[in-house]
Amino acid sequence: FRFKDSLAEELQRADLVISHAGAGSCLETLEKGKPLIVVINDKLMDNHQLELAKQLHRDGCVLYCNCSTLVETLQSMDLSALKPFPPGQPEKFASFLDKVLGLQ
Amino acid sequence: TGGHTTEILRLLSCLSESYSPRHYVLADSDKMSEAKIRSFEQKRAETFSESQFSLDRIPRSREVRQSWMSSVVTTLYSVLYSLPLTYKRKPDLILCNGPGTCVPVCLSAFLLGLLRIKRTIIVYVESICRVETLSLSGKILYYFSDYFIVQWPDLKKKYPKSVYLGRIV
Repeated sequence: FRFKDSLAEELQRADLVISHAGAGSCLETLEKGKPLIVVINDKLMDNHQLELAKQLHRDGCVLYCNCSTLVETLQSMDLSALKPFPPGQPEKFASFLDKVLGLQ
Repeated sequence: TGGHTTEILRLLSCLSESYSPRHYVLADSDKMSEAKIRSFEQKRAETFSESQFSLDRIPRSREVRQSWMSSVVTTLYSVLYSLPLTYKRKPDLILCNGPGTCVPVCLSAFLLGLLRIKRTIIVYVESICRVETLSLSGKILYYFSDYFIVQWPDLKKKYPKSVYLGRIV
């Protein structure tokens, strides 16, 4: 398929996800606890999208490669070494706002 | 738009009913956000029956990669367009997270504050995608917001007046 409203179903059934560095794709996959390999487009190197992918790689949550090294990555990958991605905490934001607005 | 809407709805998820009524402002060209917002508000109404919200649209202030000079013109136009809307709603709080749409709304609120018509607290949350650099909206609103929240420690170091609460979406 080309475009779908939501990939949630496919994600749920997947054992491994190979994706571009888009933040939405990365976060949705990690939140479902699926192992993720991020493929970087070399031609868009100064795209800010890479910032999140690089950070996730630094944190050990994703594997990282470009188109030419994808096969090699797939052959040598150790998915068990990937660290879990803890969820964000919007409650901290709510607490902060309540505090600064004097709503507590 | 897209990712921004998803993020902002997550930010709203833990807010109490003190933060009501909620007025959402969208770009006129945004097709997907309205559905996400309605779905969020519908779910919220299941818990808080008195929940109220509204949706307004404003012209998009800047296209991706639009030139600097023409961006200033289109943004100015969007600020003028936003003024009557901001004046009508007179929000106590504006919450935004980075789409170009938020700059004119915040600037119009800032203006109304300078003119002593309404003092609005402006809270900006930079997107989780921004780890090392700020978005253009962020760079502008860093100076106009009352609270500027970043989600990664590198940005806190570079922008010391910002607030760092860790990842909040």
